[in-house]
Amino acid sequence: MATTVVARPVARPQARARDEEVLVWPDLVFIEFIAAMLFTITLFFLSVVMNAPLLDQANADVTPNPSKAPWYLLNLQELLLHMNAAMAGIIIPTIWLVILGAFPYFDRDNEGQGVYFGTEGAVKITIIASAIGFFGTWLLILWDSGKIAFFLNDWFQLSGGDSLRFLENARSMQSQLPWPDWSREITYLPFNLRILDGTGSGGPTTFQHLDFPGWLVEQAIPIAFIVGLPSLLIYGMWRMGLVVTRRDALLALFGGFVASYGVLTLTGTAFRGQGQELVFPWELKVSEGIPGQE
Amino acid sequence: MAVEAPAKPTLADKIYDKMFHNYVWKSIFRTGYPNTPRNQMLVVATNVFLHLHPTRIHRTHVKVTHTYCLGGLSFFMFLGLTVTGILLMFYYVPSVERAYLDMQNITTTVQFGQLMRNMHRWMAHAMVILVFLHMMRVFYTGAYKPPREFNWVVGVILLVLTFLLSFTGYLLPWDQLAFWAITVGSNIAGSAPVLGPKTRFWMLGGFEVGPESLIRFYTLHVIGLPLLAAIFMAVHFWRIRRDGGLARPL
Ligand code: HEM
Repeated sequence: MATTVVARPVARPQARARDEEVLVWPDLVFIEFIAAMLFTITLFFLSVVMNAPLLDQANADVTPNPSKAPWYLLNLQELLLHMNAAMAGIIIPTIWLVILGAFPYFDRDNEGQGVYFGTEGAVKITIIASAIGFFGTWLLILWDSGKIAFFLNDWFQLSGGDSLRFLENARSMQSQLPWPDWSREITYLPFNLRILDGTGSGGPTTFQHLDFPGWLVEQAIPIAFIVGLPSLLIYGMWRMGLVVTRRDALLALFGGFVASYGVLTLTGTAFRGQGQELVFPWELKVSEGIPGQE
Repeated sequence: MAVEAPAKPTLADKIYDKMFHNYVWKSIFRTGYPNTPRNQMLVVATNVFLHLHPTRIHRTHVKVTHTYCLGGLSFFMFLGLTVTGILLMFYYVPSVERAYLDMQNITTTVQFGQLMRNMHRWMAHAMVILVFLHMMRVFYTGAYKPPREFNWVVGVILLVLTFLLSFTGYLLPWDQLAFWAITVGSNIAGSAPVLGPKTRFWMLGGFEVGPESLIRFYTLHVIGLPLLAAIFMAVHFWRIRRDGGLARPL
């Protein structure tokens, strides 16, 4: 029996332009050699003048304050301060990596490849998206650590009084609004999810309860921001006629991502002091911790 | 026309000839000195390391400002980390009793130990940064577009592997920095819904960072992850060739 093969367009490698080519040896190999030497020499001198840190021996009873993950994970540790741990540490990064990997399947147009910012408006989109990502992330961090309310109050004597207290930061929406008791315990799942996590052995059917204000602060608001603000950015730039193609949308998304990723990493690294308080880098101190005390 | 008699070979010519045109040398390097286009192409094509490259490439791609050598440098860091890592392995035993003492030994008594450790550490940081920058350069040159879709995905996997390599190495000095960073990091993993606690347990080999975690991280760091990364890099490089070299405008 004959099988039907559905022909789908598959991208093929471009034909080579042989007359435009140069020899790898020496043209490319030379550059690679120079780059490798520059890095070897730089890293060699860096290693001569700067030693890798080695603190006291590991001790489970002495917790340094603050305890920090390696710097490239501090963006996640920073997120962790603002929302539900599973969301900040696992769900958001995983979903983001999947989205990142899916970029080429979303934007399949060949236009503008092989040169920097090869499409119309690419530079503009990148600058705007990065600026918004940069300042937006800073503003959100400042707001959520209560600094904006503090500055308004301290510098401009602007105080909303107790009725506006709930706007101070995300957490205060949970604590400063008159939530009725029932809203803190809404039954939503009539079975035991513990069966799956391996800590319990199943046990009788129990009911899952939802603390609505807690859920709002730890999950709903962060999701609304993290999904909503980039969407809003792209939508706004689309309405303004800046974002037209899928490539443009990705440029806005990626630009915003790089900027806010950078801010999160920097904040987590240089601006989080004891108790993960927001401080200036020169105020950053690490206490070695006292044995037997968290 | 008078034919000029060939000049008599000087002593230098003779030595050169003996050194580079003898049977043994020729068995190793089949091509002559790469001073003609033919030999230059042959030298790339017949050398397993250089053969990662094509013999000729489009002229826009040898401009430093096109790639900033970022992918190549990421790979170079990987190689450098392998070399310095192997040297460190001679002195390091991944047990709670010895790890920290070995680190102290490496940095105080071992010849060039401190230097090797520093190089390993700073190269690791450099690699994370370089890989990220490489991703940015690929994105901004639109080089993930067809037919390079899958190579971008391979790249994302390499990015994750780079983070994991660095993360697993972080625990090995067994000092306070290492211990608490991994505690924080594994707590992040443990917070995953449903599978989190199991994942954390599996990662650490227990409920806390301890001897089992050390040997797990060590094994992953020195063999498991490098092997995976090497495999994906092989795919990555192979695909670049198969996709017709680097992206260029239509
Ligand atoms: C360990 C990590 C990596 C290594 C060693 C590596 C190595 C390389 C090298 C040597 C090239 C040749 C051109 C250049 O140097 O720019 C390249 C190209 C490429 N890389 Fe990577 N890479 C890594 C990670 C990534 C990541 C994280 C991505 C994207 C998410 C990526 C996507 C690509 C793509 C799409 C190309 C083709 C670029 C073009 O056609 O212009 N790679 N890579």
